[in-house]
Amino acid sequence: MKHALTIGWLYPDLMSTYGDRGNVIALEKRCGWRDIATTLVPIGQDTPSAKIQTLDLLFGGGAQDREQGLVMKDLYKKRDVILQHIEQMKPALFVCGAPQLMGKYYEPSIGKRIEGLGIFDITTRHPGQSSERLIGNTAAEVNWDGLGEKDHGSTTIIGFENHGGRTFLGKDAKPFAYVLEGFGNNGEDKTEGVMYKNAIGCYFHGPLLPKNPEIADWIIKKALEIKYQEKIELAFLDDSLEKKAHDTIVERLGISV
Amino acid sequence: MRNAFIVLFCKILSSLTQKLNLGNGSTWPGHIAIRINPHIINQLLKNSRTKILFIVGTNGKTTTTSLLSHILTADGKKIIHNSSGANLLNGIASILLQNSTFFGKIDADVALFEIDENIFPLITKSLRPDAVVALNLFRDQLDRYGEINTIAEKWRKAIASLPQSTKLYLNADDPQIAYLGRKAHQEVFYFGLEEKSDARLDHAADSTYCPACGNKLLFSTVYYAHLGIWKCPNGDFSRPKPNLYSSDYYPLSGLYNKYNTIAAMLVAKSLGLTNEDVSKSLRTFSPAFGRQEKITYHHKHVEIILAKNPAGFNQTLQTINELKAKNILFVLNDRIADGKDVSWIWDVDFEKLQKDKKTITISGDRVYDMALRCKYAGLESKSKNNLEEAISYALSQMEKNETLFIIPTYTAMLEVRKIITGKKIL
Repeated sequence: MKHALTIGWLYPDLMSTYGDRGNVIALEKRCGWRDIATTLVPIGQDTPSAKIQTLDLLFGGGAQDREQGLVMKDLYKKRDVILQHIEQMKPALFVCGAPQLMGKYYEPSIGKRIEGLGIFDITTRHPGQSSERLIGNTAAEVNWDGLGEKDHGSTTIIGFENHGGRTFLGKDAKPFAYVLEGFGNNGEDKTEGVMYKNAIGCYFHGPLLPKNPEIADWIIKKALEIKYQEKIELAFLDDSLEKKAHDTIVERLGISV
Repeated sequence: MRNAFIVLFCKILSSLTQKLNLGNGSTWPGHIAIRINPHIINQLLKNSRTKILFIVGTNGKTTTTSLLSHILTADGKKIIHNSSGANLLNGIASILLQNSTFFGKIDADVALFEIDENIFPLITKSLRPDAVVALNLFRDQLDRYGEINTIAEKWRKAIASLPQSTKLYLNADDPQIAYLGRKAHQEVFYFGLEEKSDARLDHAADSTYCPACGNKLLFSTVYYAHLGIWKCPNGDFSRPKPNLYSSDYYPLSGLYNKYNTIAAMLVAKSLGLTNEDVSKSLRTFSPAFGRQEKITYHHKHVEIILAKNPAGFNQTLQTINELKAKNILFVLNDRIADGKDVSWIWDVDFEKLQKDKKTITISGDRVYDMALRCKYAGLESKSKNNLEEAISYALSQMEKNETLFIIPTYTAMLEVRKIITGKKIL
């Protein structure tokens, strides 16, 4: 095997609400099918910073409210090393509630404001228990320009969102995608998620990557390019099944692409 | 006197809706009765010998209810119970009214009601059960039910509001369920397993932190998901000693059905039945629809095992591994009763399915989501959009003596049964 990647997974037992593991499985398999070796590092409360520094890419999923508190306490201690990872242009993916933790702050419906790691220039507030959660199948158009792939053309990503918080981008933040159907960051401005350097935050929860293999491959490619400091062309994979699963939702949402 | 008219009216209405095939008449009559007399249920109950028993939990409600109904009926007791979907106050009122005399008495010894996770905290405000059986809490349909810590908290409040005379039957092995008993002012009976297990906490384990203090629990034994023998390292909470931990006979396969069986047995015993009575009647038990239900179809064996969330699905996969299943049909739907979000299939350990399968066929509204999950678990499968075709195809790949294991989500199970038995359930 010519290439190898080390994948870090933030708190698999605390931040894994609903199928988030699908992203890790997709990254591992899509590497494996291309003969790229992978090592998975579960990051827990006792993982030393030195270990986190060895990661080539980082993934974080959603936490339930109670777990989120436990996670946050520990995350502050790991802030510098996570920020270092992202500043080094190593890719990261945060789905579901995870981007909120990486943002500036989160204002819950009851209780005190929770300070985030401030890596993404975003703020989130919950508009109160009586307000509707933003739930449903969703589709968005990827902001490839923002991901540094100007000639990539369009990609529709599909997924499922289920969040109470409304997220707003700061003036320096770039959206990860633009909502075609669904609510996105806040149900108002048509933005979905956020990106900074090669880190992506996305409200789509659970298995984002299996049905959106272009994003999985972008992450793998970036991770290899940063690690090996060379231009990488990933080997072709037959994604016809991925495409069928993806198109089922595109068709159901009545989007023409 | 007024209640006699309401009872009469409801009986006529129920039988009319059934005869005219307008549905099974399960919720309407109750709705109208409560409109006429909001206190009717409690007035009927006051005059009656009927004990009300609620069965709550993410998985196993229907099986536990059927087991208990079977055991108690065999003992000569008159049992009534609700059908699926009729677990709101209206549905429950309808069943009680249909079984009432014109003298305002309910003609039943025990009424068994399966209560939905979200409904339990609401219904206890108007109807006081004599006993509550709490089986487990797993992540299930987050878009509908929300997070399990939130549900557990609502259940605790609901139980606190019930009178001291209510009896609680709780799963000692599920930390969140056991915690319901810790501060309860009622009498608590625990069921749990006491046997060897090689299982480890799997990915879909939910309640692995102490419900009292938030510390990570230490598990000395894991049975499945987060069920096992555990304690908090703080010493502030540990798994209670079960009052009942085994049966000499289990009518259904799988560890999860052991829990359902001993839960039913524990309740039966506290109603005065002996081990022998229970054990004898368990041997004549046949499963509820879609719960390891065995059907012969086109001269071939079919077994339907409902699986609707990661914990239940993992148990189903383990069970069909033990049963050496060779032919499998997965059917994944995403309607309201299934949960519209199918992300959960990525929490199911398809990787643990034995690789010696002859055929894996896939169907349902989200056929390609399931096929993709199988692909990423290294399993080859055949996708068929049309369910009837999927069933015919799967059967065509089998020898006569083989069994097709059909693993559907809830609405998929109803469709599968309709095709195979030619009858609707609901």
